[in-house]
Amino acid sequence: MKNTDKTRKPGRKKPAPRKKPVYAQSRRKGFWRLLLRLILLGLVLLAGWMVYLDALVTSRFEGRRFEVPSRVYARPLELYSGAPVSAAALEQELGLAGFHKGDGSRSGSYQRSGGRFLISSRGFDFPDGKEPRRHLALSIAGDQVQNLKVVKGPDSAIVRLEPAQIGGIYPAHQEDRILVQLDKLPELLPAALMAVEDRSFYDHHGIAPLSIARAMLANIRAGGIVQGGSTLTQQLVKNFFLTREQTLLRKGNEALMSILLELHYSKSDILETYLNEVYLGQAGTRSIHGFGLASQFYFAEALEDLLPHQLALLVGMVKGPSYYNPRRHPQRATARRNLVLDQMQQAGLLGEADAQRARSLPLGVSDKASFSQNRYPAYIDLVRRHLARDYKEEDLRSEGLRVFTTLNPAMQMAAEKAVTETLPRLGDKALESALVVTAKDSGEVLALVGGRDPRYAGFNRALDASRQIGSLVKPFVYLAALSQPQRYTLITPLQDTRFTLKFENGTVWEPKNYDGLERGEVPLHQALSKSYNLPVVRVGLNIGLAEVKSTLQAFGTSSAISDYPSMLLGAVAMTPVNVAQIYQGLATSGFNTPLRTIREVTDAGGVPLSRYSLQVNQVADPAAVHLLQYAMQETMQEGTGRSAYNTVPRALALAGKTGTTDDGRDAWFAGFSGDLLAVVWVGRDDNGATSLTGATGALPVWSKFMAQVPQNSFTPVVPDGVQYHWVNVQQQALTDEQCENARLMPFITGSEPAQTITCAGALPQKIRGWFEGLFQ
Amino acid sequence: MMRVQIRVQVFRRAVVCAVLLLAGCASGPGGGIYVPAGERPQAPKPPLTDGAANPADEQQVWRKSDQPAEGQTQQQTAVPGYRESGDQMPAAAAGLVKEADALMAQGEGAAAITRLERAQRIAPRSAAVYFKLSEVYVMTGQFGSAEQFTLKGLSLAGRDERLQRSGWLLLADIRRARGNVAGAQQAESRAASL
Repeated sequence: MKNTDKTRKPGRKKPAPRKKPVYAQSRRKGFWRLLLRLILLGLVLLAGWMVYLDALVTSRFEGRRFEVPSRVYARPLELYSGAPVSAAALEQELGLAGFHKGDGSRSGSYQRSGGRFLISSRGFDFPDGKEPRRHLALSIAGDQVQNLKVVKGPDSAIVRLEPAQIGGIYPAHQEDRILVQLDKLPELLPAALMAVEDRSFYDHHGIAPLSIARAMLANIRAGGIVQGGSTLTQQLVKNFFLTREQTLLRKGNEALMSILLELHYSKSDILETYLNEVYLGQAGTRSIHGFGLASQFYFAEALEDLLPHQLALLVGMVKGPSYYNPRRHPQRATARRNLVLDQMQQAGLLGEADAQRARSLPLGVSDKASFSQNRYPAYIDLVRRHLARDYKEEDLRSEGLRVFTTLNPAMQMAAEKAVTETLPRLGDKALESALVVTAKDSGEVLALVGGRDPRYAGFNRALDASRQIGSLVKPFVYLAALSQPQRYTLITPLQDTRFTLKFENGTVWEPKNYDGLERGEVPLHQALSKSYNLPVVRVGLNIGLAEVKSTLQAFGTSSAISDYPSMLLGAVAMTPVNVAQIYQGLATSGFNTPLRTIREVTDAGGVPLSRYSLQVNQVADPAAVHLLQYAMQETMQEGTGRSAYNTVPRALALAGKTGTTDDGRDAWFAGFSGDLLAVVWVGRDDNGATSLTGATGALPVWSKFMAQVPQNSFTPVVPDGVQYHWVNVQQQALTDEQCENARLMPFITGSEPAQTITCAGALPQKIRGWFEGLFQ
Repeated sequence: MMRVQIRVQVFRRAVVCAVLLLAGCASGPGGGIYVPAGERPQAPKPPLTDGAANPADEQQVWRKSDQPAEGQTQQQTAVPGYRESGDQMPAAAAGLVKEADALMAQGEGAAAITRLERAQRIAPRSAAVYFKLSEVYVMTGQFGSAEQFTLKGLSLAGRDERLQRSGWLLLADIRRARGNVAGAQQAESRAASL
């Protein structure tokens, strides 16, 4: 249109003067009427536009003010004399929780020399109360905390460090923030911000023509741009609609919206929202909004702990977060910070000496961003699924909830290392793995690995790979049997011989041992520890499939269990997390303990919303489980799990079970120590055959994990109704401790052998030893 | 019902005493079963087999099958272990139990539970912690949970008669409060037989 006008204009001839015709007057009237109408129309349109802008800006203001992602925390490390932690793990934990190396007396710093630590904690608002700031001194020897002393702060025999933030549940637009409240901030921050960005903030109505003039003057004086003309309100509006275009229309809209915002909200509301909204950097795909998060991101410190030179840097970065990025452009950032410090001094916020000292300090930025993308995608995935039972996804993404999980970062690291270092050694590049670690007696999930690349946030095998469990089912068959002590004890002889089952439909099933051999009679404990197939099927058929099925269900199986006897050899599909759940009961004398990843959820202000308490539920007779645990310990010492001790210290007593499915499609190991239960699966996503067994595929991962973690041995307490006796297993009889082949074994009271034999045919060992000594 | 509540009170006190006594004589955790981390150097001699004196042979055996060949005799250097009683509480856990006591006295059941769950994480094999949890659940009227925690505590009481007795009597009271008279009597006779 414009072009046509332009082209037409030069060609247009100046009209010749002529007399005004009579109708000229009425034409002029018509013009004014038209103009009036146009103005009226314009006003109506403008009013409409204002209403539109008003709705837009207020909805954005209201919406944005409260859209905060949920924060997910690891479990806090508890320090007390005897706490099981290695010096390396403590240092790693301190790093994750944002502590930095220093003198150990400035809040959030620590000092380490060898096994000795000085730690200055920041304090933390836990859902069950505030943990105050303290200066701690402690040493670590033999992977245990010793001589814990509170040097400064309220004394206590047990101290919780602030937990590491391990992730967040973010809004779709990937913005993150830590909400700050105006009245809890260092006063210097808003004052400095106003000194630099908007001196007349408390006097203007959204726009400030005078400020623009003053800024121009200041810029001319400084020989560059040091001040912008936009008010904080305008900047806030600009932040709401992050487009980079600089058009007059946009500027006009911004000005209008600023005025509207000021009409609706108080200055302190606007300032607080600005502090939480302003864009201050980028972490991968996530943008850093607000001073609270920026403080965490750049300094790994809480905003209220920042010193003037650090506040000045953040204030200076408002102008261009990526241009003044202190990690990428430290010189630029320093110059900008010092300029801000000058302005603060001019505004009387800092004395000359203080400003001078602040200018001479380094930037003080932490080495790494104190949080990255979700570091533990598989674990957070499980947390989200647990949260989804009680919370709506949009609340998780926007309400700023604080989620306190059970993740133990040191164990998680050990678990990831076990998978990533062991899998390549197994040969097949297509092999995948999953590892679940829980606290044996509380059911807390401490670590979770969902694949051979633990950072990959894709298919989570720990939760979603439902695979046949093979021999992992055997303990449940034997438990069902041992629960009938009048029929079965650990020494009951079982037939390890072939047999054929014919079904009504004519099909035939002939189970075999893994090695194809038959051994005649084997005692029950050995049939389990060596994982023979033929005896377990016989036992299962004897006590009835229904009995085995109900045992599995009592222990928490939710999978469908087939009614075919092949289920006795593990033709039952489960995920690694399901297996961890059912093994929990075996590890704890028959108490089902629901697996948990969350201890508490609070709202953004710290008000508790939900607690997930420890629950236990007895599902089996502790006496029968104790017998089974004997055989599962034997598995580690003499049976299919014994190669664990190629890796694990001999002193660590363990119990467990291998599992292998046809053609090595699945390699499993599930086992426990005194403190931990761990389940490993190794196999291919395409369910292809491998050359692995539970012992050669999964057990190496399991052992590698166990070897890295300090922990207590598995030494179960003898429950009521169980007695240990020396027995001769082959003879099915009580015998004397000194006799050869004597074995100390547990029996449910009354089920021990009735007959006693002496060391028939052989002298008691002590006497024999004495004789041997005599004649040597 | 009134009588039951009073008796629960009485036994609660009894258990508190037992717990505090234990706390008083508490020592380090684990009773010597704690093992620091440490990987064994690669390919040592397999500890418990003896048939394959050569580590390479052993390796081959377990690569082929997870069922070791029969005929390997077991020269035992380790046997399945057990012990007669659970752990005593380390001082840190005992301190938390004391805090829980104070909270219970103020009727703060939920807060007491958070302290006790912290104590449980530190001393997961101490019967006294579970009895204490049971008491809080009695206080808050959740008898189902109370019964389960008592059973869990009993499973760790081992040969400690005092703990056993406290546990069985607590269980008797809880069962009676739940209307399970037969179960209560059974628990009482267990206590009496100690």
